[in-house]
Parts: sequence; C-alpha cells; structure tokens
Amino acid sequence: MRRITLTSLALALGVVLALASLTLGQQAPPTWKQGQPRELADSPLAPIAQPPAPKAPGEIPIEKIKVPPGFKVSLWAHGISNARAMTWGDKGTLFVSSRVAGNVYAVVDKGAAREVKTIAKGLNLPNGVAFKDGTLYIAEVSRITKMEGIEDRLDNPPDMKVVYDVLPRDLPHGWKYLAFGPDGKLYFNIGAPCNICMPPDTHANISRVNPDGTGFEYYAHGVRNSVGFDWHPVTKELYFTTHGRDWLGEDVPSDRFDHAPRKGLHFGYPYCHQGDIPDPEYGKGRACSEFAPPLIKTGPHVAGNGVHFYTGSMFPGEYKNRAFLAQRGSWNRSQKIGFRVMMVTLRTADVPKYEAFAEGWLQGDQIWGRPVYVQEMRDGSLLVSDDYAGAIYRITYQR
Amino acid sequence: MPCAACHGPDGNATLPGMPSLAGQPVFFTHWQLIKFRDGRRKDPGMSPFAANLSDADMADLAAYYATLPPRGRPQAVDATKAAAGQRLAAANYCTSCHRPDLSGQQQVPRLAGQDLEYLLRLLRAYKAQTAADLDGTMTMAVQPLSEADIENLAHYIAGLAPTP
Repeated sequence: MRRITLTSLALALGVVLALASLTLGQQAPPTWKQGQPRELADSPLAPIAQPPAPKAPGEIPIEKIKVPPGFKVSLWAHGISNARAMTWGDKGTLFVSSRVAGNVYAVVDKGAAREVKTIAKGLNLPNGVAFKDGTLYIAEVSRITKMEGIEDRLDNPPDMKVVYDVLPRDLPHGWKYLAFGPDGKLYFNIGAPCNICMPPDTHANISRVNPDGTGFEYYAHGVRNSVGFDWHPVTKELYFTTHGRDWLGEDVPSDRFDHAPRKGLHFGYPYCHQGDIPDPEYGKGRACSEFAPPLIKTGPHVAGNGVHFYTGSMFPGEYKNRAFLAQRGSWNRSQKIGFRVMMVTLRTADVPKYEAFAEGWLQGDQIWGRPVYVQEMRDGSLLVSDDYAGAIYRITYQR
Repeated sequence: MPCAACHGPDGNATLPGMPSLAGQPVFFTHWQLIKFRDGRRKDPGMSPFAANLSDADMADLAAYYATLPPRGRPQAVDATKAAAGQRLAAANYCTSCHRPDLSGQQQVPRLAGQDLEYLLRLLRAYKAQTAADLDGTMTMAVQPLSEADIENLAHYIAGLAPTP
C-alpha cells in the first residue's frame, strides 16, 4: 500500500510545485533516465546503442575471449542480427530470438558451417523462444504465439497461432524470456514498466501459463526484470537472474542471482534492492527482511541475462550442474563491468562459488560484443550468443 | 538509386513532407531502412524502395547520408507556436536523447531543421501508436502531447538551424 502523508510544509509545497509543473506540461523522462537524481542530470551515461547490422567474421576477435585451461572458443555462427535467446528443435535446429531486430531465426548446422534463415520478422521485441513436441513458442511484448511443425517448414514457416495474448503492452522491460519448466508450463517475465516505480500488481514478476493458454498465474513477485532463468537439473527448482535498478550509484545496487524453490515468494522490488538496500523512495516503512534475499549478488549493473545449468559430459566432471550466467554488461556505471560469462557452483551448507568462465568482450573501456544467452549442444559444448556482434560462439573442452 | 528525387541530391529535401537525410546518424538511417524492409515501418512512397535493398546497400546508404552536411530550408514557421514548442521540448526531455541541439546520436535522429509536414506526420503517428519505434521510447514520450502541443513542437524543431 502506498500512503501519502503530508508531514511538513516543505513536502506540501513540493506537491504543489509538482502539480504546477504538471499543468505546465512537465512529463516523465524516457525510461532509461527515470529515477536519475537531479545532480546527475548531465551524466553522460546512457544505454549502449544496438548496432543495426551484425559484424562480419573478420570484425569478431574471438582470440580475445579468455577461458580456463583446456577450453577453446570458436565462432560457430555469425550474421545473426541482434542474436539473443537460443532453444533447440527436436530435429537439431537451433532457434534464435532477437529483441530490437524484430526477427526470429533458425540456424541449421551444416557441419563445417551454419546456415541462418529468418523465419519471422517485424515482430514486437521477440526475445522469448521455447520449443516442445515439434512446436516453437515465441514471446513478444504482449503475446505468446506458436509455430507448429516448424522444423519441417523452415523455408515456408507456418502461421503464428496465438497461445496467450492478454499480456501488458508496456514496452519498458516488456520483452520476455520464455522457457518450459519441469512442470510443462511456459514461464516468462513481466518486467517493471520503469526503472524504479511502484509497479501495478500485474508487473515485476515471473509468470507461467499452460502451453494451451490456460491456467495463467504469477509465480514470483517483486522481480524488477528477469530475462534469464533455468531449473536445477537435480532439484528441478527455479533459478533466475535479475537486473537491479539504475541511478542509485556506481557500485549499488548489485544485480542478483535468485532462487525460487516455490511459488509466491517476493524478491523485494521496488522496496528493497540486493536484499539489504532499502529504496530511498519506496523503501520507507518496509524492511528488507520481509523479502527473499539474493542467492548471489552478481555485481552492480552487470546485466545478467542467460542462465544455464550444465548437464553435459564434455566439460570436466566438476562442471556438472554448474550454472553459467551470461552478463551483457553495464551502461549505468562510469567503469564498464560485466560483458562476460560467469559460473556458479552451488554447495551444500556453504555459500555458492561465483567465478569467471569467459571474458574479454570488454577491452579497457571499449566493448566489441555482449554475451547474452547460453545454451548447450548435444555433445556438451557450450554456445554463447552475442546480440551486439550478432554472433554465436562455441566453447569446447579437450583434456 | 532514386533517393535524390525526394530526399534531395545532397540529402537535403526541398519537397514538403519529405525528410532530409543529410547528417543523420548512421545507426538511425540504417535502422529505418531495416524497419521499412521488414514492414514494421510503412510508407507508400518509401516501402517499395526499401523492399529491394540488400544488407550491404542499407549499410552503404546510411554511411553516405551521414557524411552530407545538413542545411536548413525555408519553412513557414509560426514564431508563437515555435516559442511554445521550445518550452515543450524542454519539459518533455526531447534533448535527453536527441541532444541539446537536436542533432541526434546513434539510433536517435537529427531533428533540427527537419521538414515541418514530416515532423507533424511522425509525431501524430507516434501519438496514434502506429509509428513503430525501436523500443517504444518515442511512442511513450508523445502520449501526453495534445494536437496543439504537437504543432507547437513541430514548428519549434523545423525552425532550428541544423548544427554540423
């Protein structure tokens, strides 16, 4: 509940001034600038622009990506504008989403090279792709659709049939990650429609719906925006990344890696950030102890996206059930941070181990790519998508 | 390439309703061509041309127009409306993305000195939520504007001299 109490003349005056500026037409700033304190009004920080075209292979310096000994990075596919989430078809097609490019792609492995087909275009931030029983599911801002039998018709894709189309139309944090849970339901985020605000009850959550469009329900609350999650291979419990709010500081709040073993938990937004920082405006009268704390503070502004628990056998035995986290990297921080793939080892009766797996997309203060999602190949190698370079990397291991 | 017929031989259009492309940021022109080609942005005059452009054509055109110097054009700008528009531009955060001189950056277009009719058409389309923008920023920004606000803003922007 939000209560407004006029406790002082100054506050009352402030309300009057706010109303006065409203009548003069003072409007809300663009979402990326919202919540920016007055003293930072001239800050040069702004979101990193998405290039309109993917980079040519010669402009992709994969040798700069550093991985642990025994691992090797290669350029698996390129020319995929704004390549984001990845999901496998039953017959070995890799379906790849995009965000502002508005496309969904099918990548066909031809052995020595990959063929990229655009199977849908002009969509509304189609960041979510999931596949089950021959059908590809696509999540745009306000709807989930499906293409049945798509793998047999990559050159003549079937119509997109609506699964669920009564989702909010807000564009800020409106793009969705989409994945099938172990319960066979489709899970996706409905992000807060702002940087920091009191979201409507319908926003700032992870939701789920049956693949036939029935049974919609909220699963996790107080989640500012999660565009990456996976279920632990053994416990089948949900883990997800969350982007923290902007303009609170260079080093706060930390982004989060969260654990939601059951439905109904509240993760704090907008009242409490990173488990222990009350929001200067919305935190009043609330305590951080009311909310589920982060499993890991992943770092300020790192922009954790993809989550993938490793189940393959190519990597050394200790990698089994580790989570890989792709971090697309910061904009709301003078010194860039993120632009890397981290890994998490969950440990019984101990805090998780959190360490770098692949980094090098950031060189000094210059970036040449942004790792955004992680997927596993059948042979146990790891694919990493890069929406800035429009490429997919493959990481292999040889003893 | 028939681009010059509408957009001017030096990228500075003179026909009413036609936008100037000279000095537009590379990312802006490139993204618009992509959106015309994939159908997110529609225009009876422009869509057919964009439909046949290759990826390389679009990159080359965007790079070319960015190098051309932008010039103002004679326009019937109403001084009273422009003065009201200047206040609206400040109150509506136009300069946060379009820069203080409205010269644009990255995917954000240069506006100063743009064609009045074109500005009106685009602002009204954003208000009607039919102008596809990349991420919704413009659609949201224009929602609070009245038709009178839109006219005032357009007069202000059209009357500005483009900076290099």
